[in-house]
Amino acid sequence: MSTVTLKDIRLRDYSLEDLPLLKRLKEDLLSRNAEVCIERAKYVTEYLKDLSTENEPMETRYAKALAHFLAHKEALFFDDSLLAGTTTSKPFGAPVYPELTGMTIWPELDTISTRDKNPLLLNKAEHELLNFDIFPYWMERNILEYTRTKQHNPECMRIFERLVFFIASKAGCISHTVPDYKVALEKGLEYLIGEAAVKEEEIKKAAHITLEARKQIFFYRAVQIALEGAIAYGKNLSKTAAELAGKAQDPLQKENFSKMAEICKQVPAKPARTLREAINSLWIIQVAIHAENINMAMSPGRLDQILYRYYEEDRRKGSIDIKEALELVGCLWLKLNDNTNLVPETAEELFGGAGTVPAVTVGGIDERGEDAVNDLTYIMLKVTEILKTRDPSLNARYHYEKNPEEYRDRVAEVIVNTKAVPAIHNDVVDIKVLENQGIRTEHARDYAVIGCVELASAGRSYDASSSIMLNLVSVFELAMNNGKRPVTGDEQIGPKTGDPCQFQSFEQFWEAYKRQLEWLVGEAIELNEYFGRTYQEILPSPLLSSFFEGPLQQGTDLIFGGALYNSSGATHIGFADTVDSLNALEKAVFQTKKCTFKQLMQALEADFKGHEELHAYLLNKTPKYGTDDPLAKKNSQNLIRFLYDLYQGYTNYRGGKYRPGYWTMTNHAGQGKLSGALPNGRKANEVFASGITPVSQAARDLSTCLQSVGGLESSCIPSGEALNLKYPYVRGKEDLEKFSQAIEAYVRCGGLHIQFNIMSYEDLIDAKSHPEKYKDLLVRVSGYSAYFNDLNEAMKDEIITRTAYNVGTGQAAPFPENYRSMLATE
Amino acid sequence: MDELVNWISLRRLRVKREQKKFLDCMGSEFAEEFLQLLLRLMSLFFVLNRNFRRNIQDFNGRYLFKSRDNRITVAAVFKNKRLKVYKKEIDNTNVTITFRDSKALMNYLLSPKPDILGSLLRQDVVINGNLNYVYKFAYMAKHLQLMATGKA
Repeated sequence: MSTVTLKDIRLRDYSLEDLPLLKRLKEDLLSRNAEVCIERAKYVTEYLKDLSTENEPMETRYAKALAHFLAHKEALFFDDSLLAGTTTSKPFGAPVYPELTGMTIWPELDTISTRDKNPLLLNKAEHELLNFDIFPYWMERNILEYTRTKQHNPECMRIFERLVFFIASKAGCISHTVPDYKVALEKGLEYLIGEAAVKEEEIKKAAHITLEARKQIFFYRAVQIALEGAIAYGKNLSKTAAELAGKAQDPLQKENFSKMAEICKQVPAKPARTLREAINSLWIIQVAIHAENINMAMSPGRLDQILYRYYEEDRRKGSIDIKEALELVGCLWLKLNDNTNLVPETAEELFGGAGTVPAVTVGGIDERGEDAVNDLTYIMLKVTEILKTRDPSLNARYHYEKNPEEYRDRVAEVIVNTKAVPAIHNDVVDIKVLENQGIRTEHARDYAVIGCVELASAGRSYDASSSIMLNLVSVFELAMNNGKRPVTGDEQIGPKTGDPCQFQSFEQFWEAYKRQLEWLVGEAIELNEYFGRTYQEILPSPLLSSFFEGPLQQGTDLIFGGALYNSSGATHIGFADTVDSLNALEKAVFQTKKCTFKQLMQALEADFKGHEELHAYLLNKTPKYGTDDPLAKKNSQNLIRFLYDLYQGYTNYRGGKYRPGYWTMTNHAGQGKLSGALPNGRKANEVFASGITPVSQAARDLSTCLQSVGGLESSCIPSGEALNLKYPYVRGKEDLEKFSQAIEAYVRCGGLHIQFNIMSYEDLIDAKSHPEKYKDLLVRVSGYSAYFNDLNEAMKDEIITRTAYNVGTGQAAPFPENYRSMLATE
Repeated sequence: MDELVNWISLRRLRVKREQKKFLDCMGSEFAEEFLQLLLRLMSLFFVLNRNFRRNIQDFNGRYLFKSRDNRITVAAVFKNKRLKVYKKEIDNTNVTITFRDSKALMNYLLSPKPDILGSLLRQDVVINGNLNYVYKFAYMAKHLQLMATGKA
C-alpha cells in the first residue's frame, strides 16, 4: 500500500541552503583527500599472526580476528554528522584487505601519495608497517596465492592473469550483495547472538556429534564472536561520544555527542526505537560488514522500505519533522561516501573512477504486489537531488501498472536535476526474470539492486554478482585467428577452431565463435570455483551470514551455500561491438561478398589504413545493433540466448546457477584499449560500447534503439544490464514530460534497466578540457556514478562520444565536427 | 680498524659507481644491462643500508628472470639476509618473470612508475608463479631507484 503523506512530493521548501549541516558535510567530503587506511589490516594480521594458531578452526579464528579489530577500532568523530561510526580511521579512507586485493599496492608504497591519478595519502609509519609486517605475512596466504598453490597454478589462472580475456574477481566471492538489515534493526544484534547460542547448544546436546554438526557448532560460535565485535564497536562509539560531549564547548555539538552516546548505547546491540537509531544501527552494521568483507558493492538495499516503520512512528509521535528526516538520510548518504577502493595506479588508469557502489533501491512494489512508494522514497530522492554525491548508487524501481505516474515523473525530474541519477529498473520484467531463476514471487517482488544493476532478493539471495567479467571481443578475436589473439602474439590460447578463410558460410564462423566462448566461459568458471573453494577453506563470513535468511537457520555460512538462494554472476564486456562485428562479417563476407575473409583480416591488421573504402562500407552499410535491422536482431538474440544456456548449465560451489549479465563498469574502456580493429569499423585500441548499449553513433533513432534493446529476451539476462543513454538537455515542462514518457516506453518494451547522462557533447568536451570548472560533475558510467574528473581519459572519451538524443525529436544530435577524431570509428 | 674503514670507503665508492651506471642505464635507449645493474646495486645496498636490509630480514625468495629471446637468464636468490645472483636457471623458483626485452622489464618495475598491471596487459612481461613475490621485488627496486636518485 502506498503511504505517501507528503503534501509536496518534490519537497520544494527544502534546498541545500536550508540544510546547512548537509551543506557543510558535503563541502567537507569534497575537500578531503583519500588516504590509505591500514587499521583493519593491522589488527586482523596481528591477531592471525601473533595471537592465534593455524590449528584453531578457521571459522572461529577469523571471527576472533574480526572481533579483535572491531574491539580495537578507534571510535572517531571527524565532523558534525548525526551518525556515529566510520569505515576507516581516516576521514576519507581506502581500507587495505591484504587477503584479497590489498597486496597489489605494494610496489607503489613509495609513490601512491603522489601518483597522478587519484592519489591515496600514506604516511611513513603506515607505509613501513605494510612493507615490513603486514604484507610479508600474506605472501603465501592471500586468496590468489593460496588458490594457486592448492590448484598447482592451473591454466585458467594463467589465462586470467593475462587480464585480456576475463577477470575472475578473487574479491568477488564475498562482495556484491544485499544483506538484510530488518531483523538486526528490529531486534538488535544481541537477539541474533542469542539465536546462534541456542542453536549451538541444541546441537551440542546430541549424543553423537557428527563432522557436519561440529562445523555447525563452529559456525554458530563464529557468528556470536563476530557480532560481539560489532557490539563492542558500538559501545566504544558510545563511550567516546560521551567523553566528547563532556569536553565540547559548543552547545549544539555537546547535544549531538550526547545524543550519539545515548544512541550507541542502544544500537546495534538492542532494537532501534527511532529513525535516527535505525539509521545509525544500519550504518554501524555496514561498517562491521566492511570490517569483514571488502568494500565493493555491499548494498544497503531497499532503505525506503526498511526504515519506513521508524519514520512513520516518529512522525506519528511528532518527534521528527521532514527537515530532520532529510538531514538523517543526508548524513547516511554522506557516510556511505566515507570510504573508497584501494587500487593500484594502472588499475585506476585503465578501470578507475568507481566508488564503492553501495546501491540503495527505492520505490517499486512490495511483497504483496502493491505500490511501495512512500514518504521516504521521496525524501531519498530529494536528498539525492540536492547532494549529488557519487555514492550511494541510487536505483528507482518502477512498476508501470502499480506505481503512480507522479512518482515516475519525479524520478525523471531528479535525473534531470542531478544530470545522472537515479537509474531506473523495470519492476514488471525484473520480477519475472527473478521468478524464472526460481525465486518465489513474494521474494522476487522484494528485490533490491546490487552494486551496478544486478538484482537480488534482498537478504535472501547470495549472488556474488561480480564473479566473472568476460571479454566477448577477445572471444571474437580468438575465433578470427583460430584460437590466437593479436595482443597475446603467436601463443595458442583457445582451441583450434579452423582457419576462417576456409569457412564457406557465416554459420561455420558462428560455430567457431561458440566453441571459443564455451572454452573461455569454462575456464572462467573453473577459476571462480577454485576461488570459492579457497574461501570455504580459509575465509568464511560469519558476520555477513547473520544478515541473511538461511545461514542461521541451517547452521551454514554463506560461502557454503547457507543463503536461501544462491547464484554467481558473470558480466560481459564488448557485447555491442561483438554483435556489430558478427553483423559486418556476415553481411560483407558471406552475403554481399564485398570482401573475402582474408581481405577483411588484412584491413583489420592494417587498422584500415589503405582500406578506406572497405572501412566506409563496414561502418555505413552493415547492420547495427540498436536498429531494427533483422540481421542485427538475429545476432544479438542468438548471442544472448547462447550465453544464457551456457551459463545456466553450470552449478556453482554453493549450489546455485551462474547468471549472465551485461554491465561493464569502466572495463569496456580498459579492454577496448587492448584490442585490435574490428569488422564493425571500430579502430584498434578504441573503447568498446558500454554495458548493453549500442555502439556510439550507431543507433540514430532513439525509439528504434529502445525497442531493439528492450526487445532482447530479458529472461536471458538474469544478472542485469546497463543501458546508458544521453540527452544533451531536458529543458522545461514539455521536455520533461517527453523524457518521462520515453522512460515509460522503454519499460513497456521490456527493458530491464536504463540510466542517463543529461549533458551535451559540448558540455562534456568542456569538462574534459577544464576539469577545474567541473569538480563535482557526476556522470553515469555503466551501472554506477562517478565524478567525471576521476575517470581515465578513455572513459571520459567514451562518455563524451555516447550518442546524445534530442529529447524533442528522438534523433541523434550531430557530433561536433571539430571533435570527430574522438569517435572510435574515425 | 683501518681495514674496516677502508673496506667501507671502498664499498661506498663502489656504490656510487654502480649507482651512476644504473642511472645512466635507465636513461639509455635499450637498457641492455638494466637487470644486472639493478641486482648488483640492490646487493650492495643490502650490505650497506640497514633499513633497506630490513626488507630481506626473514625473507627467502627464488626469482628467475628470462628474456623472451633467451639472451638473458638471471636468477636472484634471497636467503640469510643476502642476495645472490646467478647467470643460470635455478629450480624451485617462487616466480619466473619472462620479459620482452630489458627495456620492457625496466618499464615494468620502475619507469615512469611501477606498472605491473600495465605490463601484464601489454604482455610485455609474463609472470609464472606467486605475484606477491613480484610485488615485493618491485617495491624494493622502486625504493632503490628513489634512494639512488636521492628521493627516499
